[in-house]
Amino acid sequence: MDGHTHRFCCSSCLTVCQAIHEAGLAGFYERVQRREAEIAPPPDMPVDIDQYDLDEVQQEFVTCHGGSRREAMLLIEGIHCAACIWLIENALHALTGIELAEVNLARQRLRIVWDDSRQSLSAIMRRLAAVGYAALPYNQEMAEGQIQRYNRRVLFRMGFAAFGALNIMWISIALYAGAFSGISSEYQSFFHWVSFAIATPVLLYSGGPFLTGAWRGIRQMKLTMDLPIAIGALATYGYSLWQMLHGYTQVYFDTVVVFLCVILIGRYLETLARRNATSASLRLMELQPRMATRLIGQSEERVAVRKLHVNERVLVRAGERIPVDGEVLDGASHVDESLLTGEPMPIAKQKGDEVVAGAVNMDAPLMIRVRQTGNATTLAQIIHLVEKAQESKARVQRLADRIVPWFVAVTLMLSLLTFAFWYQQDMDTALLAAAAVLIITCPCALGLATPMAIAVSSGLGASEGVLIRNAEALERLSDINHVVFDKTGTLTEGRMKVVSFRSMRDDMDDISLLQLAASLERHSPHPLARAICELAESQGLTNQPVETLEVIMGQGVGGCVGGHQVWLGNLRLMKEKRVAFIDTYEEESRRIQQGMGIAVWLAVDGQVVGMIHLQDRLREGAAEVVEHLRKKGIGMTLLTGDSRQAAEAIRQQLGEMAIVTDVSPAEKAEAVQQLSQQGKKVLMVGDGVNDAPALALADIAIAMGSGADLSMQSSDVVLMGSDICKVLYAIELGRQTLETVRQNLQISLLYNMLLVPAAMGAFVTPVFAAIAMPVSSLLVIGNAILIRQRMRRRD
Amino acid sequence: MSVIYGLIPGMILLGLVSVLVFFWAVRSGQYDDMEGPAHRILDDDDMNDGDSPKS
Repeated sequence: MDGHTHRFCCSSCLTVCQAIHEAGLAGFYERVQRREAEIAPPPDMPVDIDQYDLDEVQQEFVTCHGGSRREAMLLIEGIHCAACIWLIENALHALTGIELAEVNLARQRLRIVWDDSRQSLSAIMRRLAAVGYAALPYNQEMAEGQIQRYNRRVLFRMGFAAFGALNIMWISIALYAGAFSGISSEYQSFFHWVSFAIATPVLLYSGGPFLTGAWRGIRQMKLTMDLPIAIGALATYGYSLWQMLHGYTQVYFDTVVVFLCVILIGRYLETLARRNATSASLRLMELQPRMATRLIGQSEERVAVRKLHVNERVLVRAGERIPVDGEVLDGASHVDESLLTGEPMPIAKQKGDEVVAGAVNMDAPLMIRVRQTGNATTLAQIIHLVEKAQESKARVQRLADRIVPWFVAVTLMLSLLTFAFWYQQDMDTALLAAAAVLIITCPCALGLATPMAIAVSSGLGASEGVLIRNAEALERLSDINHVVFDKTGTLTEGRMKVVSFRSMRDDMDDISLLQLAASLERHSPHPLARAICELAESQGLTNQPVETLEVIMGQGVGGCVGGHQVWLGNLRLMKEKRVAFIDTYEEESRRIQQGMGIAVWLAVDGQVVGMIHLQDRLREGAAEVVEHLRKKGIGMTLLTGDSRQAAEAIRQQLGEMAIVTDVSPAEKAEAVQQLSQQGKKVLMVGDGVNDAPALALADIAIAMGSGADLSMQSSDVVLMGSDICKVLYAIELGRQTLETVRQNLQISLLYNMLLVPAAMGAFVTPVFAAIAMPVSSLLVIGNAILIRQRMRRRD
Repeated sequence: MSVIYGLIPGMILLGLVSVLVFFWAVRSGQYDDMEGPAHRILDDDDMNDGDSPKS
């Protein structure tokens, strides 16, 4: 009693407080609010929802995009159909300051980007609560608990409905038998009452979510999938009740119960299938170990991975997963990174090598210094990419989302029409036919058609080392007709090795030439630079200080060493910097390039002082890829910042393709743009910083995994390994996905086109409709899962 | 025939008991993982202390 008064008092108090707040007297409001919150918090909302506005709290799950733009992943409880997506997204877009709200049905998550200066996160969560969804910041452990709770609730409801269905069926048999062989009205009405006693709790408990969902939809003036289901169940139930109370015999309580039971079974199977379909990316998540062995001095302790800090030392025993990105301090072992890169061979690691989280240490203990933890590890970034892809929407899907409310409206209309038509004949047929129409139309299959296929494909791709960054990429991959390859690091291994280095002046020996070159290149991620530095390090050379370091993309580097202006780069750089150049140098350059090598020249104060000869070779499988593409009639272009000779050397080995040589990064981008202006759908395969602009301009871009982060940012697909054959895999995956999406849309349209008229013609009972509806959803999900089989058959 | 006045409520009662048993089974997590336990029984001893079975 006491508590009752309090709660009442509080909510009215709150209303007043809000009015005050709107009047600009926020200080008073705050004080009252704080005091009231201690006594009785608002009942339908978590008390601590405001805490999510604090920066410290947001740190764990919010990414800031500069300025006040923020992005967060929220776990939404209560999503069950495509219509819910529409409802949530529309409710949020109506708020100010929301830039993007995208719901993922399969993962039950909401990706939201908002302007923090105009909208607070807590307000967004309140808005979600108002439309009937509980939102929580997403983190992995919580997600597992949430899914589990949802599954359990569906199981409870399904179990109860099943109990009701099985029992009510016995009663129905008795009633049917009675209808044939005669039954005294005393027993008949008893059986009716028993049916009523079973059907009522089933409708209220098992059917509860549909009823509340439909009611919420009506209040929000939004049509959700729950509405037809609820109307169907309630109408049949109400009619039966009316018949029973007036002593008539047309009682359909059994229909209500069996229908609810079947729909719930469908829902349960759907949650299981969804979990299966997305398990590939979940498996990636499970790669992240939870515990690690931390070394402090000589002692070891087991700690949670998230408690590890950078520069701490961790011991990884043989057979364990490596918990963090780091550097091997001690020990030598083989590491299996196949789940990350798709490369099956274990890789040897020893002191000084880098290891990544999620890889398995195969044969000997390793001591590792922590470099990156938690969300900064490569594994976490991969997971993030995969999730983003699964959550981004293809154009087809947006269309499907828009259709759903119309779909529901049309359903209601059709069922009304059906009812009106059959009512002229008799009430029973009219009611059952109308209910069947309500139940049988299913936008769920329509809504699931695309996201399921995309979730399966991106999960499948991830397990093969092909990361799909967004859904549209899959769509576009299937209709490319021109492929542009970068040369270095894509068609070739990109792992340049220094073959020889030679000084051309007497006052400088070969070793100091190398030392000078390494000093200039020490911070550059370019493969040539790395090769030079590696060699210098292995020779034990120390670096000289460099001033005014300058990087000229596609050409080389320059800087001031010991008061001398030094340039290191290709022929073009030498020409540009007006370095005195002799023809024999040029010839030598050409000779090296014809053998697929690269000559890097070093100039000091305008004079060439030496040359470093580096050699690269074709990637394994490059010939196959080119051959396969040619057979398919896909045009190819080779782009390279190197000279014509190097490109010709490649062409000799790979066969006919267009070549564009001596291009700067900007020119590469231009070349790609020209191709797409000619109406070609261009796929660009590249890696490295200098490909980034071209990758960004191509219709679709694939970055090779060993490449720099920048190229990963501007590409749609990232290959984790260095296997170029995966390019073909990606194209095939895109083709299969689009194919599956088309099939799925056809399935759901065909289903509705066949069964809706049947239901309108009163050929279909509501129970059959209840079986058919989830079957159509399952067909769509099953077809999506089949992508795996189709891709496997391809191999 | 008046025996059905007792039997049918009895039937429903028994059914309710089985529903309660089912609820208990769900709540105690028996339906959370339909595959795991079948495999877990085959991995009888833990291989090392690092991998505790997932509950």
